Amino acid sequence: MASTVASEAQPSTAAAPVPPRGRRHRRLGWEQRRAAWLMLAPALVHLIWWIGIPVVATFVLAFTNYDVLAGTASFVGFDNFVEMFSDDVWNGAIWHTIVYTFFTVPVAMAIAVIVAVLLNQKLRARAWYRAAFFLPHITATVAIAMVWMWMFEPRVGLFNAILEWFGFTGPAWLSDPNTAMPAVIVVGVWQGIGLKMLIYLAALQSIPTELYEAASIDGASKRRQFWSITLPLLRPATFFVFVVSMIGAFQVFEQVYVLTAGGPANATTVMTYEIYQTAFSEFRIGLACAQSVVLFAFLLVLTLISRRMTGKDDHET
Amino acid sequence: MDATQRISRIALQLALAIASLMMIAPFVWMLLTSLKSPADIGSYPPSIIPKDWIWANYADAMAAAPFLTYFKNSLLISIGHTVINLALAMMAGYALARIRFRGSTVIFMGVLATMMIPTYAKIVPQYLIAKSVPFFGGNDWLGRGGTGWLDTWWALIIPGALTPLAIFLFRQFYLTLPRELEEAARIDGMGEFGIFTRVMTPLVKPAVATVALITFENSWNNFLWPLLVTTRDDLRVIQVGLAVFQQTEGTQWAFLMAGSALATLPMIVLFLATQRYFVQGFATAGLK
Repeated sequence: MASTVASEAQPSTAAAPVPPRGRRHRRLGWEQRRAAWLMLAPALVHLIWWIGIPVVATFVLAFTNYDVLAGTASFVGFDNFVEMFSDDVWNGAIWHTIVYTFFTVPVAMAIAVIVAVLLNQKLRARAWYRAAFFLPHITATVAIAMVWMWMFEPRVGLFNAILEWFGFTGPAWLSDPNTAMPAVIVVGVWQGIGLKMLIYLAALQSIPTELYEAASIDGASKRRQFWSITLPLLRPATFFVFVVSMIGAFQVFEQVYVLTAGGPANATTVMTYEIYQTAFSEFRIGLACAQSVVLFAFLLVLTLISRRMTGKDDHET
Repeated sequence: MDATQRISRIALQLALAIASLMMIAPFVWMLLTSLKSPADIGSYPPSIIPKDWIWANYADAMAAAPFLTYFKNSLLISIGHTVINLALAMMAGYALARIRFRGSTVIFMGVLATMMIPTYAKIVPQYLIAKSVPFFGGNDWLGRGGTGWLDTWWALIIPGALTPLAIFLFRQFYLTLPRELEEAARIDGMGEFGIFTRVMTPLVKPAVATVALITFENSWNNFLWPLLVTTRDDLRVIQVGLAVFQQTEGTQWAFLMAGSALATLPMIVLFLATQRYFVQGFATAGLK
C-alpha cells in the first residue's frame, strides 16, 4: 500500500517552484504554506530536540569522558573504543547478542510462516487462533517475563514439574549459566511469533488465488503448491521479516533485565544490557555512548544489507 | 468432502488448538497462580488449579506495593501520549501529505530517518537532556546543578509523546483522500485549518483509531525510559513498579502474578475489543 501511495505523491511534492499566477492564487499559496509550517512546527521541534540532537550527541560523547555531576566533557579520542574492545564482558555481550538473534529469529520465523499458511485458509475459530498467537506481542515484556521467571522456577515451577512427570530432573534454568540463555531464547521465540505471523498473513493475502487454482488443475498436491508457489512468492516478505526481526532481536533488553539481570556469571549479558549498566549504574557516559555506536553500527549494516537485497526501503515492502 | 480430507481437517484444527493453547498458557498460569494460597504455590508437585481460590491476593498485593498508583500513572501517561501524538502527528502528517511547500520532501525524508533510529542510539543523551532542562529541579540556566526533569511528570510524558511512525502513517492515510474535497471546501471560503479539522480528518477515522491504539500500547508497555527517569514510588508506572517489586519481594509469587495480571489485562481487553484496528496498524506499518 505504501509504495503506490508514495508514487502518487511525487508530483505534488516535486512541484516546489510555483509558476506566477493571479493575486488570489499567490495569496492562497502563501496562506497554505503558513498553515503547513504552523502544523509542522511542534512536531519538528520535538523530533529535533528528542531524536536529532540526542543521536548526534551519542556520536560526539563517544569520544569524550563525560562527568555527570559537573556536566562537563573532555575529549579522549578513541580511548573509549580501545577500552571497550579489551573488556571481556562487552565482547561476551556482543557474542551473546549474536547467539540470541541466531536462535530466536529463524525458529520464530519458521513457526510464524507455518501458522500463517494454516491460518490463511477458511477455518473455524480462525480469529481466536490469530489473537492467541498475536497476544504475546502486544502485552508488556516485563510483566510477561515475570510469568516466565515463575515457570522457570527450579523447584515448583511449571517446566520442571512437567519434566518430573516424564521422569526427568529439570535444570536450575535461570541460575545455571548453561541453561539461562536457552531459557531467555524460549521467551524470545514465544513473543516473536505474533508479529512475524501477521506480516506473513498480509503477504499471503496478496498472492492471487488463480495460481493455486491453475496448480490444482495441473494436479499439484498441496505440499507441492506450498514449495513451488507459496514459499517463492513469500520471499520479499520473508526478507522483510528477517531484517525487522534481526534488528529487534539485537535490541533485546527487558526480558534479560527481568529474567536474569545479565547473569549468571554474565552468561546472558547482551549489548543493550551492558550499555544500560555502563551508563546508568557506573555512570560512564562516554563509554556507554561508544558502546551504543557499536550497536548502531551492527543495526546499520543489517539495514544496508536489506536495502541492497530488496532494492528499496524496508518500510515499503 | 471425503474422509481423508475430513481427517486432515480435524488434525489441523487439533494442532492449531494445541499450539494456540501453548501460546496463551503463560497468561493462564499467571491468573491461576495469582489466586493460589502460599501453601498451594509451595506445594510439590505443583497443582494446576488452585485448591482454594484466594481472591484476596489482589487486595493484599495492592497493600504490599502501591500497584493502584502505578496503574493510574500508566493510564495517565498512556492517555497523555495518545492525545499528544494524535494531535501533533495528525497536523504534521497532513501538512506533509496535502500542502505543497518548499522543503516538504526534505522534511519527510528527515521523518523517515528518525523513524529508523534505534533506541540505544539516543537514549543516553536523552537522559542527559531530561536531566539538564534549565530552571527545573534546581538547575541553573545552563541546566547544571540540579535534577531537571528527572522524577517529574514532564520527563514521563514529553519526550515520548511524539512518534515519527505516527507522522508517517498519517501522511500515508491523508494521501489517499481525493483533491476535489479540499478544493470544494476552499471555494466555499474555508481556511486551511478548517479544511484539515472539519473536512479531511473525519475521513481518516480508521487511521486515528489505529494510531491511537498503537501509541497507547507502546506507552503502556514502555519500561526503560520510565525506569531511567523515575525513582520516586508515587511516579512509577506499572511495568517499573512490577520490576522493583520483584527485586524486593521476589518470592511472593502470588502477588507478583497479581501485579502482572494488572499490567497485562488492560492490553488484552483492549486488543480483543479492537483487533481489527490493531491488525491493520501492524500490518500496514509492519514495524514498531
